[in-house]
Amino acid sequence: MEEVALVQNEAVAAIRLAATTEALRAVELDFLGKNGRLANLMKGIGALPNDQKPLFGQAVNAAKAAVEAAHAARLRELRTAELAKQFEAEKIDVTMPGRAPRVGRAHVLQLTTDKIKRVLGSMGFVYAESPELEQFKYNFDALNYPPDHPAMDEQDTFYVTDDMVLRTQCTALQGRVFESVKPPLRMFTVGRTFRNEAVDRTHNHTFHQVDCFMVDRGIGLHHLKGTLGVFARAMFGDEVKIRFRPDFFPFVEPGVDYAISTPKLFGGKWVELGGAGLIHPNILERYDIDTREFSGFAFGLGVERIPMMAYGVDDLRHFFDNDFRFLSQFA
Amino acid sequence: MKLTESMLRDFVKSPLDAPELADLLTMTGFELEEIFESEGESVLDINIMANRGDGASVLGLSREILAKDPHAEPTELYQRAASRFPAADSGSRDIWAMASAEIQTSSCTRFACRVFEDLQNGESPEWLKKRLRQIGQRPISLLVDLTNYVMFEVGQPLHAYDLDQLVGGRIIVRQAEEGETLKTLDGVVHRLKPHHMVIADTQKAIGLAGVMGGEETEVTGTTTRCLLEAAHFSNTSVRRTRKELGIATEASYRFERSVDPEGVVVALNRFAELYAEITGGKPVGGVIDVYPERTERESLTVFLKRASGLLGMAISADDAERYLKGLGFEILGVSPDSLEVVPPSWRTDILREEDLVEELGRVHGYEKIPEALPIGSTPLGGPHGFEALTDKIREAVLMAGFDQTISHSLRDLHPLDFPADSGSGENTRVRVRQPHSPEMAFLRNSILPSLADAQRRNNVEDLHIFEIGRVHGTGVESTQLGLMSAGRFDGPGWRPSDSSTADFFTLKGVVESVAQAVSLATQFRRTTTDPRFHPTRQTRVVMAGAELGVMGQIHPLVAEACGLPPGTVLAELTLDPLASVAAGIPDYRPISRNPASRRDIAILIKKDVPYSEISDAVARSGGPDLERFWLFDVYEGQGVPEGLHSLALALQFRRMNANLTDDESNALRDQVVSALQALGATLR
Repeated sequence: MEEVALVQNEAVAAIRLAATTEALRAVELDFLGKNGRLANLMKGIGALPNDQKPLFGQAVNAAKAAVEAAHAARLRELRTAELAKQFEAEKIDVTMPGRAPRVGRAHVLQLTTDKIKRVLGSMGFVYAESPELEQFKYNFDALNYPPDHPAMDEQDTFYVTDDMVLRTQCTALQGRVFESVKPPLRMFTVGRTFRNEAVDRTHNHTFHQVDCFMVDRGIGLHHLKGTLGVFARAMFGDEVKIRFRPDFFPFVEPGVDYAISTPKLFGGKWVELGGAGLIHPNILERYDIDTREFSGFAFGLGVERIPMMAYGVDDLRHFFDNDFRFLSQFA
Repeated sequence: MKLTESMLRDFVKSPLDAPELADLLTMTGFELEEIFESEGESVLDINIMANRGDGASVLGLSREILAKDPHAEPTELYQRAASRFPAADSGSRDIWAMASAEIQTSSCTRFACRVFEDLQNGESPEWLKKRLRQIGQRPISLLVDLTNYVMFEVGQPLHAYDLDQLVGGRIIVRQAEEGETLKTLDGVVHRLKPHHMVIADTQKAIGLAGVMGGEETEVTGTTTRCLLEAAHFSNTSVRRTRKELGIATEASYRFERSVDPEGVVVALNRFAELYAEITGGKPVGGVIDVYPERTERESLTVFLKRASGLLGMAISADDAERYLKGLGFEILGVSPDSLEVVPPSWRTDILREEDLVEELGRVHGYEKIPEALPIGSTPLGGPHGFEALTDKIREAVLMAGFDQTISHSLRDLHPLDFPADSGSGENTRVRVRQPHSPEMAFLRNSILPSLADAQRRNNVEDLHIFEIGRVHGTGVESTQLGLMSAGRFDGPGWRPSDSSTADFFTLKGVVESVAQAVSLATQFRRTTTDPRFHPTRQTRVVMAGAELGVMGQIHPLVAEACGLPPGTVLAELTLDPLASVAAGIPDYRPISRNPASRRDIAILIKKDVPYSEISDAVARSGGPDLERFWLFDVYEGQGVPEGLHSLALALQFRRMNANLTDDESNALRDQVVSALQALGATLR
């Protein structure tokens, strides 16, 4: 029994003396290890008379617990001190710049297009694409352009051959859809359009357009207004109001010019967004769609106009220049 | 077109002020471009739609206001205009004895004229000069000013000729002869072509029909006899002449938008009326009116239920009748369900029921249309098929750290253009016939030149960019993904030791990860000879069995030619072949709950044994327990014989529903090793 107390005292003293966690580890092995001195004491229990065995066992266990507690306390002390030293050595200047992961950035027109696709897609409009180099018939004839319309002039439209033009509007998708899809239908597209004109802040020979149309039973201008309302509010905010004004485009009748106003962006002024209307019955009839049963609407607008209006971009040319000083401003 | 507030009030009595009248016009479709003050009065500048020439007059705009605004009333002048300014008696002389006219071209529908004698062509009275100044017209002389003024009032262009300068006293409307010349009022001499329509006397052209008169027959201060012309010309002929010769006039502006064929003599009469008011003078003789083919308008019927359905707002028969009457339609019949009407002669744009529906809606007011969402069956919206696949590919490239660019399809030629097929010698470029400038004469046949432009514009060392867009070859339009990568590939930072530099393999990794994102298998075929790329560092890219294009390091000479860093790596992948493969469906396999065991091996092997053969051998020999393996080190140099290199491979084994023992893992490794030894490898 005395020996137990002796070993315990010796252990506690050694623990106190250990100056590093390494030294403490050695003490721990010496006293608390599998073959340590406390374990060895326990092994001697067999030589004792039976009546002393329980008492001895209890004493060794108590000593072990005491030594373990002392060890844990000392370990905590030493770790704290050592960590303090380590922390000091590992000091960094947290004001230095962070290292960013390389993340690809979508073009601002892509961000706009993605939003358009989400909004119109969620309203049941199917996204489709058609060629940029388009047949004359889809770009003009199919859209009810009279044979001598000014837009067909070589000065306004890029011709590759007499029959092939760079599409002047994404509405060129319409005829292609009507050829193969029977109504009811809801479609939209986003793509490039081309006009043969000089480039300046507000004009470019190439720009992007959204074109959206549907044909169903009983479609009227109220459905166009409702759809445009949802679309415009999704793009420009919940307070957007929409205004229709009569206008003329060969492919719609009645034709409207739609403007939006929102107190936040334009101080309540009406800002024209694009052209729209009910699909001209000549077009539907051309594709054997019975205009007594079906009617439809169509609307279009320039994609670039959306960030121009939303962010106040003042130069159309930026959108095709790929200058990352410009592009990195949008997310 | 510009008009002053007082000109409008000559025709309409309305309590509205000028801006309110302008708003009202805007809502009928005649949009206010600008409102400004001039000489103490408001002047409106109104944008006239391409099919509404009738609106290019004070009379026409007044008609719109009267139809739309129930509080507006017509003035006495309006009523006389509506009854077409009946002509006063002009004596008994036979006009055909003084002048004659003939139409020899189908582009002129009607030609009318009157003659004035004993003229004093002095200055106009102040009120007339003021109004012309206010609407941006320069006062010239009474005769010229009145032709202009009447045109603004009623929309019909007029022209005054000095009758004594007309050879033969005869007007012939005809097509120009090839090479015929004409000096117009602005002093410019034009060389004409047969598709230009001219007004001529018996000798030569004296005016460009519908566009501008000639200088020689112009009325001057000494003119004593004048022939006043009013005619109706085809809008296409006038437009073509105006565009080709580059002379836009107030007359051509109106003829292009169509003028009222029945308004021709009306304008002559209004001129005579004003001329008489100012000078006391009268025209002599009657009117010469050559009008070979007058066409009667046919009636149209509009059904109100249909109109209300298309407009989304109800229109009553009473309202419909009032609106159409106000716009000058002749009402043949009204029932509670429908109206039968004849459009007025100035509304050549009204051809079918839907055009009438628009008229009803326009006057009733588009602001009254409610918002409603269409009902009915909707398909699954958004992109599908190829478009959905392209979206996924774009997202994958963005995730791989590439910035997106969007560039012009129209451009000039570039060293990175897709090379012409040297076998057939065919030029695959698509060329625009009349480009605005040589820099945009061709449609790009590759995305790579656009990327090179973007690199040069930004002029930074580290640039990793892509574009997905259309490219054009003869008869083919395809969607292409272009990738360009140069410089440090990690994000911006200040510890350069961490950086990796873009090279063939970083780009290959991106291509592989893109394929993975759409669950398509990729292969790389070594045999390519694309002259734009480094001859021994290029490969063809195959996805889902379809060849998409080529990737590799830029050829040093091409890099020099287009100012790109020599280490730039590029990929040009045409995505269209993927349209026919089902967008990949991921191949699900259950995962094992048992631990994996890894065995690393290092082999020495000849450098000319392609890694693809090594990896094929590993995959084949590893058996089903080889979960994955990867190359983690390549070494050559000290300790490795010339012509050989050392490859370190990690093999990861795992078995479904069972643990692999060390012995089993070792046996599997040995299997792989012997397969590699068969390729000539030795263990290191």
